[in-house]
Amino acid sequence: MKQIAPACVLLCLLAGCNSNDDGQGTSPTSGAPNALAISIGTSGVCTTINVLCGAVTICQPGTNNCQTVSDLLIDVGSVGLRVFGSVLATPLEQSVDAQGRPLGVCAFFADGTTSWGPVQLADVVLGEAQAVRTPIQVISPTFGGQSVAVNPCNDMVDADPQETGFNGILGIGLFKQDCGPVCVANSNNTLYFSCTGGSCAGTAVPLANQVQNPIWLLPSGNNGLVLTLPNVPSTGARTVSGSLILGIDTAANNTPAPGISVLLTDANGFITTVYKGSTLAQSIIDSGSNGFFFPDASLPDCAAPLDPFYCPSNPVNLSATMLGVNGAQTVMPFQVANTQQLVQTNNAAFNNLAGEFPIFDWGLPFFLGRTVFVGIEGQSSSLGTGPFFAF
Amino acid sequence: MEILLRTAAFMTLSATAVLPPAWAALGQSAATVERDQVVMRGQLRSGSVNGYSIDTITVAGLEIKEYVSPDGVVFAVVWKGTGVPDLPLLLGEYFGEYREGLTKARNRKPRVREPFRMKSAGLVVEQAGNSRSLWGRAYLSTHLPPGVRPEDIQ
Repeated sequence: MKQIAPACVLLCLLAGCNSNDDGQGTSPTSGAPNALAISIGTSGVCTTINVLCGAVTICQPGTNNCQTVSDLLIDVGSVGLRVFGSVLATPLEQSVDAQGRPLGVCAFFADGTTSWGPVQLADVVLGEAQAVRTPIQVISPTFGGQSVAVNPCNDMVDADPQETGFNGILGIGLFKQDCGPVCVANSNNTLYFSCTGGSCAGTAVPLANQVQNPIWLLPSGNNGLVLTLPNVPSTGARTVSGSLILGIDTAANNTPAPGISVLLTDANGFITTVYKGSTLAQSIIDSGSNGFFFPDASLPDCAAPLDPFYCPSNPVNLSATMLGVNGAQTVMPFQVANTQQLVQTNNAAFNNLAGEFPIFDWGLPFFLGRTVFVGIEGQSSSLGTGPFFAF
Repeated sequence: MEILLRTAAFMTLSATAVLPPAWAALGQSAATVERDQVVMRGQLRSGSVNGYSIDTITVAGLEIKEYVSPDGVVFAVVWKGTGVPDLPLLLGEYFGEYREGLTKARNRKPRVREPFRMKSAGLVVEQAGNSRSLWGRAYLSTHLPPGVRPEDIQ
């Protein structure tokens, strides 16, 4: 019995242990043509705590042969649509290199996970917007004669949705492509590969053939996006529902409030966070991380298996200063609760889940009770030209 | 001068050792830094700080720093940029330990979405960033030169 307890606790940390719907209400913008419904704790696939998910429609290029794929991680920390091949019933169009060899791509994520699979062309429909034709990654560990353990990504790659807790990732971060100029200029870029006869070799790929942020390809509302989510009580909520809105200042539902802070990121998407006198460059704002992660030796770590997380005996109110490269700064208050106590609530959404890490990662709790604008690189809006975060 | 000395040391090691040439950087002699540079076809520059030296390899959108202790052993590796470097090469004999940590993280079902962090008796590996610009570091926590703190490894 002793052995079962930790596993049970872990499962409850990782999963929303209750699917009862007593959500905190939906955002007033749901249902607008440029809005996609997003939620935590409402499905049987996206069951991980603080994992925000939504759906898109994927079509065979140039046809009405389409399917809706739900349970996609809504991730402003990555770029590109990535969907497990095992949930795709729609045939797509394989992308090839200049010699006609099929292209594969590795996607590396900050949590140490990696996905591998072919680059394929799809028509992607976001909300009720016009479809955009874009290369996506079809996650498939066996593509090109490879495997979960042996593949060009030099790492163990994602196997299936049961393992990851989502059907794919909708990467709608600060950039237009997942790689950018580095992969145009270098064949040894570690992301893109040409595969033939069971082996894959690094290859350079033109920008247009790389996996794209579908939002910047939209005919309108293509300068960025808005994530808006309600707040939750300090003990969390069973479910949370909000909106992903396409565009910045292009419609009534994506107009920034006066006085909003615009934090320009550096060319790599980083901001700086000053916390308790330490300057943490390479800080990120990331809806795909499920907690606040930052270094503080005064906060006790939880006992295993919750040891990556903090377990102060009582909730602690803290604050940090977020700085953009444009000199903009904002003081951000936040709370860190006892993770052990949080998971015992069986809730799925928390604004005070936090853990230890050497840089500052403003994860999903940051987005709760907030409207966050994400400006895509090189795209202009009334808030300026991206890459930036504004809130 | 430093590079010449290291190359000489590497040649001596290769000539006398019955084992195949070291295939690792972390925990190995600094000579492996040049090996890494050659394998990765990168540019190398060196600098010294507070008694230890940092060799930086830049290649294809990646910057890889190898921290070398006064006694010539690589005690930390830091990488930054688009993609992830050849970790089997950089972590060498510690790659297996890293894989174990990764497997442990992967086997949590469903998975936690957090920056990757593993800590064993002697090895710490951490990774964060966004998919366009990842940052990671691996260091031998029990072999840091005197006065070197983890926060010095950036």
